[in-house]
Amino acid sequence: MTFFKKPKKLITEAKVEHDIQKGLNNKSTVVQNLNLDELLTKVKEPFSATEDLVTQEVELPSDTSRIALLYIESIVDKQLVQSMILDPLFTTGKEITFESFKKMASIDLKQETDFNQVPKFLLQSNTLVFTEDTTCFYTVSTPVKTQRDITEPDNESIVRGAHDGFVENLSTNLALVRKKLRSSKLTIKYLLLGQESHMKLALLYVDQIANPELVKEVEKRVKSIEADAVYAPGNVEESIEDKPFSFFPQILNTERPDRVAANLMEGRVALLYDTSPTAHIMPVNFFTFYQSVDDYNKRWHISSFFRFIRIMGFFIALGLPAIYISIVSFHYEVIPFDLILLIKSSLEDIPYPPLVEALLMELTIEFIREASIRLPARIGSTIAIVGGLVIGDAVVKAGLVSNLMIIVVAVTAIAAYIVPSNEMSAAVRILRFPFMVAAATLGFLGIVFGFLLLLFHLCRLYTFGSPYFAPIAPLNVKDLKDTFLRAPFWKQDTRPQDLNTQKPDNRNHTRKWDKS
Amino acid sequence: MNSHTITHRQLFFLVIQTQIGVGVLSLPYTLFSKAKIDGWISLFMAGIFIQFSVLAIWKLCDRFPKQTIYEILPKIMGKKLGYVFNAIYTIHFSFISILILIMYNSIVGKWILFETPHWVIIFIMAAVGYYVITSSPREIVRFFVLVTPLLIILFILILYAYTDVHLLYLFPVGHTGILTIIKSSADAVVALLGFDAALVFLAYSNASAARNIKVISFASFCITILYGFIVFTTYIFFNPKEIIIVPEPVLYMLKAFSFSIIERTDLIFLSVWIISVATSFVCYLFIAAKGVQTLFGLKEHQKGAPYIAIFCAVIAIIPDDKLEVMTWNKYITMTSVFLSAVFPIVLLVIAVLRKKQEKGAATS
Repeated sequence: MTFFKKPKKLITEAKVEHDIQKGLNNKSTVVQNLNLDELLTKVKEPFSATEDLVTQEVELPSDTSRIALLYIESIVDKQLVQSMILDPLFTTGKEITFESFKKMASIDLKQETDFNQVPKFLLQSNTLVFTEDTTCFYTVSTPVKTQRDITEPDNESIVRGAHDGFVENLSTNLALVRKKLRSSKLTIKYLLLGQESHMKLALLYVDQIANPELVKEVEKRVKSIEADAVYAPGNVEESIEDKPFSFFPQILNTERPDRVAANLMEGRVALLYDTSPTAHIMPVNFFTFYQSVDDYNKRWHISSFFRFIRIMGFFIALGLPAIYISIVSFHYEVIPFDLILLIKSSLEDIPYPPLVEALLMELTIEFIREASIRLPARIGSTIAIVGGLVIGDAVVKAGLVSNLMIIVVAVTAIAAYIVPSNEMSAAVRILRFPFMVAAATLGFLGIVFGFLLLLFHLCRLYTFGSPYFAPIAPLNVKDLKDTFLRAPFWKQDTRPQDLNTQKPDNRNHTRKWDKS
Repeated sequence: MNSHTITHRQLFFLVIQTQIGVGVLSLPYTLFSKAKIDGWISLFMAGIFIQFSVLAIWKLCDRFPKQTIYEILPKIMGKKLGYVFNAIYTIHFSFISILILIMYNSIVGKWILFETPHWVIIFIMAAVGYYVITSSPREIVRFFVLVTPLLIILFILILYAYTDVHLLYLFPVGHTGILTIIKSSADAVVALLGFDAALVFLAYSNASAARNIKVISFASFCITILYGFIVFTTYIFFNPKEIIIVPEPVLYMLKAFSFSIIERTDLIFLSVWIISVATSFVCYLFIAAKGVQTLFGLKEHQKGAPYIAIFCAVIAIIPDDKLEVMTWNKYITMTSVFLSAVFPIVLLVIAVLRKKQEKGAATS
């Protein structure tokens, strides 16, 4: 473990450096007595000789005073600079004060005095306006819109329901959530991560519903991230989850605004990112990963049935190859006589032990999946045919793997992909290998102990203070309404209790007309 | 709220899961070997006897709320004697764990894995036990609640025996004589052990005293009924002459059933039964680890957990033939009945006589 520990000295050094940086910044506060040129050189100091940092001096026709615009052209929309700053300036042409400037460029204008913040404003796509009054400057938000269209997320497509998904832009994402949840209680907190990368993210919760302790905890964990650069939501996820060594995903990834909105209303907390369409929802429990937005748009019996299928898929994906291996290598006598003959005849000429056979085929499936995932659709289907049909058929004909093993592996593969969440599906696919090894060494005993360990691991797992395997451990009969079953909307009248929400009652009083 | 407490419902499942253990398979046979076909009556009598022990344990723990047996003993008997008795109880509970391992090993070796070395079978259970007891009582109990529905499978499988039963096997009722029946009920008490887990786990319960006793007593009652049902079923399924030659009647009974999808029902039964064994083992191992914690003044029971698990596993490997297993079984069960079922009553009497009681305890 010592390998993973950071050397202590480095940390203190980093701190010293940080302090020096702070000191430098403080020094540059003394700018009052500078003229405009000196001020501009001063505020540009933190930037290297980057050429997209543009200083544009403007001389107004009716005024002798100088005005300078400062912006980073790669992240600023020049059209906006023209229409929001330059055009009004030229039309009025007076010496500007905050009030007069405010009249011209109405939106997103701020007067700032803290010159330490200049780099931050520039990096947030603002255009800064400096005048000869060097005690203050003005910021106008002029972000360039580089954004793809709102489309349905590929990995979470649904049959019926809203088809919009998040994009790589925080304000658009927030708009999508706000559109679903027009509540005055929806609270958004902006955070910046990465001393250099300044990734912007938003923490969302519904005030007076979400447990304040939870919000505080999430905020604390996110704020504690110290890194030069935080690029991906995955970085954040790994930094804030409870048990990084567990196979199970402890934070829900989604690209669907409706899912975020629904979870927020249940009392959860969400993180949205400026750089990625992925939103994180926490705390979640095991069964959250088996829910899909589709469930709520179907008739409740049908979605309950699909929930059941998915949970069964979990057990089949984990256990079926293991059970097959243990039956053919230890417990022939469990299966009926007629089936034994069948299995025996198909296994007779196979040179390998069942475990090797199973590993071979499972790994082949993983190969095919990994190979086809990044290929364009046209080549992808070729891989699927080569991998699935050719290998599957040829391997049996060559006598390397038995027919039954192909069936088992295929069913397992399909069962693993039933899970609506990609992360959970990956966890299940990884976990079935230890199960297979356990089954090959100890038979049923190995499988039983495997499941014991797995279930106990789930029982002792917590995410952000709430138990991961809720509502079945600890058992909470009331909360089962949205796990194994999807109870009808009018029955879902409480929020999940393991979240300790401020308002356990969600006031679902529908079908009142039916009571009379 | 303290994160170590458990609710009264969880306490119920804890006692149930601890009580159902290795005993269930061989109980009909052991009872039959003494009380003949009146064994089921002995069992129900044992069920009544243990209610007294349960009451004593509860009363004892009630005098010292939120304290385990290891904290209570020194208070009743004085520091030095208390330490000695703590040691005795720690050894006692670890030997119950060892006995569970031995019996589990002999059954698994006989029925499922014939050629696997015994130490593998024992060590894997000990390893699972160790992993489980490194967490708090609350998580352990959550796990117990989670696996309890599996008991329904056991129940249904046994229920299937009623397709072929002969009530006449039971008659004449009571022909072995009331004395023999009472004597052999001692054997039944062994199978019903598990309520003694309350000696430690009552300290974690956050329910009222009245609720606690109801829950433990009811759990013991349920298990008595379930065991009674199993014993009764095997007695009317097998001819009295057959039972003598089948040491695990339940398994032999299930072996006879075959369905169109599953041929050997007993293997399915055993797989589920292993979970019940694991829960009892975990529970006793936890109690033993708690004892080690008090004896050595450790901060957490987790520190002593690996040593106690390895100790149990190593000792459990020692007996390797059938006769040895039987001798171990005999001596450990004898001491268990005394220390778990009888001695708590003695302790209660001592506590009452010496007027030892913790302040704040209910005086009702």
